[in-house]
Order: sequence, then C-alpha cells, then structure tokens
Amino acid sequence: MYNSAVRGKLIDGDKSYSQISKEILAPIHDKTPLWWYAAMLVSLGMFGFGLYCKYVTISTGIGTWGVNNSVAWGWAIINFVWWIGIGHAGTAFSIFLLILRQKWRTAINRAAEAMTVVAVFCASLFPLLHMGRPWLFFYIFPYPNTRGPLWVNFNSPLFWDFVAISAYLLISASFWYFGMVPDFATVRDTAKSKIKKAVYGFFAFGWTGSSREWLRFEGLSFVLGGIAAVLVVSVHSIVSTDFAVSVQAGWHTTIFPPYFVIGAIFSGFAMVLTLVITMRGLYKMNDFITDRHVDAVCRILIFISLIMGTAYMTEIFIAWYSASDYENYMFFKNRLFGDYAFQFWAMFTANAVIPQLFWFKAVRKRMWIVFIISIIINIGMWYERFNIVVTTLSRDYLPAAWANYSPSWVEIGFFVGTLGMFIAGVLLFFRYIPMIAISELKSVAKFDKPNNGQLKAKSHE
Amino acid sequence: MLGVFNDEATLVDAFEKLKNKGLTPVEVYTPYPVHEILEGMPIKTRITHAAFFFGLFAAIGILGFLTYAAVYSWPLHYGGKPFNAFPSFIVVTIVATILSITLLTLFTFSARANIFPGKKAKIFHERATDDKFVMVFDEADIVKNSELVKTILTEHGKIENKISD
Repeated sequence: MYNSAVRGKLIDGDKSYSQISKEILAPIHDKTPLWWYAAMLVSLGMFGFGLYCKYVTISTGIGTWGVNNSVAWGWAIINFVWWIGIGHAGTAFSIFLLILRQKWRTAINRAAEAMTVVAVFCASLFPLLHMGRPWLFFYIFPYPNTRGPLWVNFNSPLFWDFVAISAYLLISASFWYFGMVPDFATVRDTAKSKIKKAVYGFFAFGWTGSSREWLRFEGLSFVLGGIAAVLVVSVHSIVSTDFAVSVQAGWHTTIFPPYFVIGAIFSGFAMVLTLVITMRGLYKMNDFITDRHVDAVCRILIFISLIMGTAYMTEIFIAWYSASDYENYMFFKNRLFGDYAFQFWAMFTANAVIPQLFWFKAVRKRMWIVFIISIIINIGMWYERFNIVVTTLSRDYLPAAWANYSPSWVEIGFFVGTLGMFIAGVLLFFRYIPMIAISELKSVAKFDKPNNGQLKAKSHE
Repeated sequence: MLGVFNDEATLVDAFEKLKNKGLTPVEVYTPYPVHEILEGMPIKTRITHAAFFFGLFAAIGILGFLTYAAVYSWPLHYGGKPFNAFPSFIVVTIVATILSITLLTLFTFSARANIFPGKKAKIFHERATDDKFVMVFDEADIVKNSELVKTILTEHGKIENKISD
C-alpha cells in the first residue's frame, strides 16, 4: 500500500485545486516569452538543414553518406536506436511507475510521454531514408499486391521492427492524447479567448468530467496501461534482434534484448531529467517537479547504471569464456583497444562510471550537476550504439573486407535535423499543451492535505 | 439543481449520506476520478471485457493471416527455414494484437463514453474541470425528498440552481 509519508509531500506550496490548474496552464494562457521564439527559430533552422540533407539523400542517393559495403549501417542506425531508446521513457515512466504505485510519476509522465512521441517519430525517419528508395516504403506492408501476391518475410527482425515501431508510435501517441483530454477540457473552461475555447474545445472531445466519462476513462487507461507495458519490453527487444540474429561477432549474443531494453530506459530517463530540469528552470515548475522528484529519478539512474556496467562486463566476460577467436578479437582487440577504443571507453565512463556520482546527495540536489550528468548519459548512450554498430561491421571475418567508417556531412545534417525537430516539438509542447497532467496531479494532491477540509478521504488503493 | 463541493472528502460524504437514503444524483462531475463515486453510481463499464475479446479475435486473425500468407498463398524459402515458422510469427502476432486492442478499445471508448473530436461539451458548471465537485439532481426526481437532499448538500457544500434542458 502506498503511504505518502514515505516520500513526503508530492506538491510543494500547499496549493488549492484551482491554483494547480492555474499555475500549470500559465504557459498556455500567458504571453509567449521572447526566448521561446528565439529557441524555435534555432530549432527550425536545424530542422531545415536536416530537410536539405534528406533532399540530398533522396535526390542523389545513399552514396552521399559515409557508409560503405562493410559498414553498411552507419549513423542512420545508430541514431535510430538512440532515438528509440529515448522514446522508451514515456511508457516506462507511465506504466512501470503506475504498476509500482509511484504517485510521484504524475508530475513527470506527461512530459515523458510527449518526449516519447517526438523521439519515436524522429527515429522512424532513419530506416525510412536508409531504404534508398523511400518512395517504395509501402512495399513493407503485407498487402495483397500484383507481385504475386508476394508477401513480406515474416521471419525477418527488420519486418518485426517495422511492425513494432509503427505500433509503438500509434499506441504511445494515443495513450498520451487520451490522457490529455481531461486537461484540454480544463484549458477550454479556463480560457478567456474565444479562439482558444474553440480550439481546445475541439481537442477536448466534449469532455465534461462526468462519472460516466471517468469510469470508462479509467477502464481505458487500465487496458492501455496494461498492454503498453508489454511494448516497453518488446520494442527494444525487437530492435536488438536486428543485431542479435545475425552471425556477426559482437552482435550474436543472447544478452542483447535485456541489455537493449535497460539501455533504452536508461537513456530515456536521462532525457526525462534533461527535460524536466529545463521545465523547472524555464517555467518555474519547482513546486510540482520538486527536488524530491529529481532525486527519485537520479536514484533510479544509479540502479540502471549498475545494470549497464554489469552488462558491459558480462559481454566481455562471455567473449573470453566462449573461447571463440572472433569474439575474442572483437572485444579484446577491436573494442577495447582498436580504432574505436575512444568510443568504447567514452561509453563505459559515461554510462557505468559517471552516473555513480548520484550516490552522493550533494550531487543529486545540485540541479546543474544533475543536468550535466543527464546530458553525459545521453552522449554515452549514443556512443554505445556507435560502438555496437561500427566496431562489429568494420572488422568482418575477412580482413579483406575491413573498412573504417566516418560519417559524411549529409548524415550529420540528418541527425542535426532530427535534433531540431525534437527541440521544436518539445517547445510546441511547452507552449500549447498542459505540460503536467493536471487531473492526475489533483488526484494525488489530496494525499498532501492531512485532514482534507474537515473529513478524511479514504485511500484509493 | 446542482450541489457544488470544494473537495473530494465532502463530496464523498454527502454522496454516501444520500445513497444511504436511497438517493443518487443524475450525474457527478469531478476534476479527477473519484473512486467512491464511480463505484457508487449506478453505472458500469465492460470496456475491459471488450478489450479482452478484441485481443482474442485479433490474435487469432493475425496468426491466421501470417500462416495463410507464408504457408499457403505464396510460400518462399528463407534460408532453409520451414514455411510454417510458427515461433517467429509470434512476435508480429503479439505486437499487432496490442495495436488492434488499443485502436479498437479507443473507438469503443469514444462510442460508449460519447466522446469524439469536436463534440460540444454540455457544461453544467464552468469549474467542474477545474476545482469544483458537482452533483446534478433533476428536480422532478426528488420532489418528495427535496428538503432532505438540500440539507445534506448544504452541510458541506452549497446549492446552485440551474434550469437545464
């Protein structure tokens, strides 16, 4: 049973319900600050550059990338896996913490889910463009066609991946959206301007907060929450099988699915920290996203970081224990001390060593340090994917096929473009969507009130 | 007639007192789900059961389709694997089933809760989505007990009148 005394107060400042709505909706109802336009301009600039690089890729071809016959998967796959990993946080946050009855999630889950939707969208662009002829992408749908009908290969992890990613995008977007419907109704009912009332009224689906709506809403959240929990585990497991079912040294390991899932949650939570610390700084949400919330995420990160370290060392141990020459070469020569040793050690330091600083309370309560570490983890997780993809491909079984890889400006620009898209998406989220789940926050606010007016409310769980 | 309350505890208290007297409001509007109300109102939802059957039929349908496509319609050899590679169909079946459940349950929710894009909200109290907990009574239903209802409502909340359609 959850007892709020364990974690102390969930919301600072002893707020009334209308204060909660008012403060969270302030960014929507107030004037847009100047920095928002400036940040939007920069991110749209990045996005535009990314569009140009996509144009170059499509009009000229994949030859404009740095990939070659041996290293056929370059930044595109690295960035794809990186974004998908970040996109795990939303579901992991909402669902796992829901299952674990962690009430503090209510202040953060909306932002995490928003991040998920944008990140998964960014991720899906990479495989699409990497197809070479993206205008024929619909060939991957199993539809009755005039080519036989020739069906897709249902045994291929690449097809599983396509199904998993598109399902994940649709499901996380609808889960996020339906969670927002009651809050859109709050925006509609508190808005002064007619246009705002009409627009948010449209998106609020006519929500009134009646018991009939809430009852079915609860049923829906229960169903979606329950089945989306499976997706947290399945999506990145499937991504990992893209690698693990091949017979390449360094990829062909059974540790991959759990290792990828944990890595995804790790990078996702780090990105959540980056995002909520930004929210606290820019919108003064400190009363809702308190130091204790950040502290709790930091503690989770210590734990996941330890698992990451264990996974890295398990891989190395098993490479030695397998007594396979190729595995031995891959890990002990190539990864640890080869041409890409920097990336390996950067990964190890950033993911397994630096997050251990969170053991210290002095570190956890200094927001700027937490912010920097969260960025370091994101970079470290990027290096992890680089390390997995490039070290294995660049040193094949045949030394004649060995080739090194460095990205071209088009690939870099493509990645910069998705970063711009992500930032722009987050900025739109800050400006137009209640960035904390208001109705959920109100439902936990009562735990902070010892006597709740004159009568004691019964616990709900 | 509307009974307007400022917090959950007083609303639940009044609701239970009324219920003991055999009276239930036509509808209760709250800014967040209040479980005592959801359990106390004479309404129920079968959305979870619906979701289960959606899942069951979707799983059978998808697995059937994969088998049809890969075994009967146009069998192809992939690296010497059997045509009916059942274990590798499981992955797609699970993911696509989850997707089907989600979409179908959303449509069911939309239809049953009568919630859809652009629907015009029928608002009894402007602040029911903000900070007020509102019980709605139809005057015609409570003619006999009008005074009793009023006493219970005014104990912690207040009464606002609204002539509704």
